[in-house]
Amino acid sequence: MAEAFAKLLREKQVIVCVGSGGVGKTTTSAVIALHEAIRGRKVLVLTIDPAKRLANSLGVDALDNDVTRIPIERFKDIGLEPKGELWAMMLDMKQSFDHVVEQYAPPKEREEILNNRIYKYFSTSLAGTQEYAAGERLFALHQSGEFDLIVLDTPPSTHALDFLNAPKRLGDAIDNKALQWIYKPSVLAGKRGLGVFSMGTAYVLKTLSRFTGAELLDEFSVFLRSFSVLFEGLKERGVKVRKLLTSAKSSFVVITAPDPLTIDEALFVNERLREEGVKVGGFVVNRVHTEWVDAEDLSRPVVGVVSALSEAGFDHLDPKALRDLAERMLENAQEFGVLSHMDKATVERLDAGTAKIPVVRVPFFSTDIHSLRGLELVRRAIFGVS
Amino acid sequence: MDSLNIYQRKLVLFSGKGGVGKTTIASAFALSCARRGERTLLMELNTKDKVSLMFGAGHVGPEIREIEDNLFAVNVTPDAAQEEYAVMILKLRVVYRAVFENKIMRAFLKAIPGLNELVMLGKAYYHVIEENDDGTPTWDKIVVDAPATGHGIFLLQIPSVITSILGSGHLYEEAERILNVMQDPKLTAINLVTLPEEMPVNETEMLLESVRDELKMPLGYVIINALYPQLFSEEELKMMDENRPDLEAGDLVANLIDAAQFRNMRHQMQQGYVEQVHERIDLPAAHVDFHFVDHVDFPTIDSIGASLAEQMGGE
Repeated sequence: MAEAFAKLLREKQVIVCVGSGGVGKTTTSAVIALHEAIRGRKVLVLTIDPAKRLANSLGVDALDNDVTRIPIERFKDIGLEPKGELWAMMLDMKQSFDHVVEQYAPPKEREEILNNRIYKYFSTSLAGTQEYAAGERLFALHQSGEFDLIVLDTPPSTHALDFLNAPKRLGDAIDNKALQWIYKPSVLAGKRGLGVFSMGTAYVLKTLSRFTGAELLDEFSVFLRSFSVLFEGLKERGVKVRKLLTSAKSSFVVITAPDPLTIDEALFVNERLREEGVKVGGFVVNRVHTEWVDAEDLSRPVVGVVSALSEAGFDHLDPKALRDLAERMLENAQEFGVLSHMDKATVERLDAGTAKIPVVRVPFFSTDIHSLRGLELVRRAIFGVS
Repeated sequence: MDSLNIYQRKLVLFSGKGGVGKTTIASAFALSCARRGERTLLMELNTKDKVSLMFGAGHVGPEIREIEDNLFAVNVTPDAAQEEYAVMILKLRVVYRAVFENKIMRAFLKAIPGLNELVMLGKAYYHVIEENDDGTPTWDKIVVDAPATGHGIFLLQIPSVITSILGSGHLYEEAERILNVMQDPKLTAINLVTLPEEMPVNETEMLLESVRDELKMPLGYVIINALYPQLFSEEELKMMDENRPDLEAGDLVANLIDAAQFRNMRHQMQQGYVEQVHERIDLPAAHVDFHFVDHVDFPTIDSIGASLAEQMGGE
């Protein structure tokens, strides 16, 4: 499994890490990037997460919209000689999308869009804009040829599909008939029998504005009108981004946690990506509990444990204290047994549902992973000692 | 902070990043309110329904359902909330159907930024002020599981964004009313749920800043979730450290010691972050134990609820 996963990474130029929030996606993205950098490639890890996670774990104060070199040569302290380079960058969503507008909008509309109040507040939260801007940036960076591998850590709450479909969703939002109707009333002039419109545009508009207020409708229609000029450019670029992401140069990696709900979600994402023509290259399951004591030993009577303990050097405890300790040590192992048993069952379900795709398990560590050294610990768990 | 009693507020929100157990805590708190005899509504906002799993109560959808004595739950979807709101304003469902249930109109309304979020919060607001025919309040408590994503507090920011974009109109007035309730320290409190780990603590600190500076909402507790109870004394752990090197891997006692040491290491690490939360997050803190179960079931929720009530003035 580790072998197949390592091979996948070696062969790709773009790795997109997807998964639901709280599963360690950012950490895993960093580990994948670190591994390839140690092997000798020049790697960029790109995050959209504004929460400083990546900066935290890479041991730098902050990341911004420019690439920052990560001092992995510090690994010499722990006997490693990284052969490549690791770079990181945090996408500023607002800046990135402004950049898209500046690039594709004619000068007149450019100002109108950038100053529109709806755009100002929502440019980073409209359906698909985040993912679009990230895809756009990823594409440009890939085109530049500066890096051998780019690892993208996608936004937390987002599904993999949103990411892939961002250009389409943005396009749909601008292209849809209802919206055209509001910013281009002429589009539908002359057409009859279109359901709501046959009741009379004025009536519909009046009812709608009772609901939203006339001002919002006005502002929104100005926004859409000016935004629509961007559309052709966005669509064209979107097609290219999608082409890169679905090509043999790229692979998606689904990051997950071993609880049943998250595994369900990972299976769902895998299925949907496949329908979209994307191959998931691997799964990484984080925080898998270790089975410390096997089930047979756990069912032993306490007296057996008591005598084993006294043979193992705990014999100076008085009998009551010894028995009490034995009970608690068993209880502790049983508690972790419940978790490891559950994890094992859910990961097996993932295995069964994803034939032939490598599933890599990362143990739940006794320490928190938030430093370069921590990343190295995870790297060894995923790839074996280098 | 001395007089903070979360149980006296009517609208109680729980926020935090994905994976910290926010839904579990919100559910447990709601159950503890119901146990006090308060008629309680637990609201999930357009997420994959987890509440029904915990309560073993069958699917919780956009219709309010009683899942336990005094405890009701709903999973608010934007579509359902929008319909309720529109019908309330337009008075006539027929008009709503004619205008809003049209496919094209639906697509249009979906595209208006912020509208989804506003109608969902609007529903929470509406239940806060909802009254029975005889003028008594319908609900004693509204508990909201409020997601915070990479955007931070996008959802909760919507009312103030709307009021600053718009100058008048229904939506403006609605947003203003919601905002007034959200910011009223007699009615509302927002609690932050976190884990005793590096990144969740950092993120909670940032979240606290945004809630204070941008949302200007009255704050409640920081809830530190999933703490491992300590099972072993220092003396016992010392004995384990001393005896472990003489044992071979795979030996029963060696395995039991490894498991005990693992727990202790995580416990120690967690205690370090508990200290940090106390230092860096100036809110009263409540501590919630980790439960070693394969899924969060009703007895677990009940026990967490009782522990919250004890720590947060609900007994």
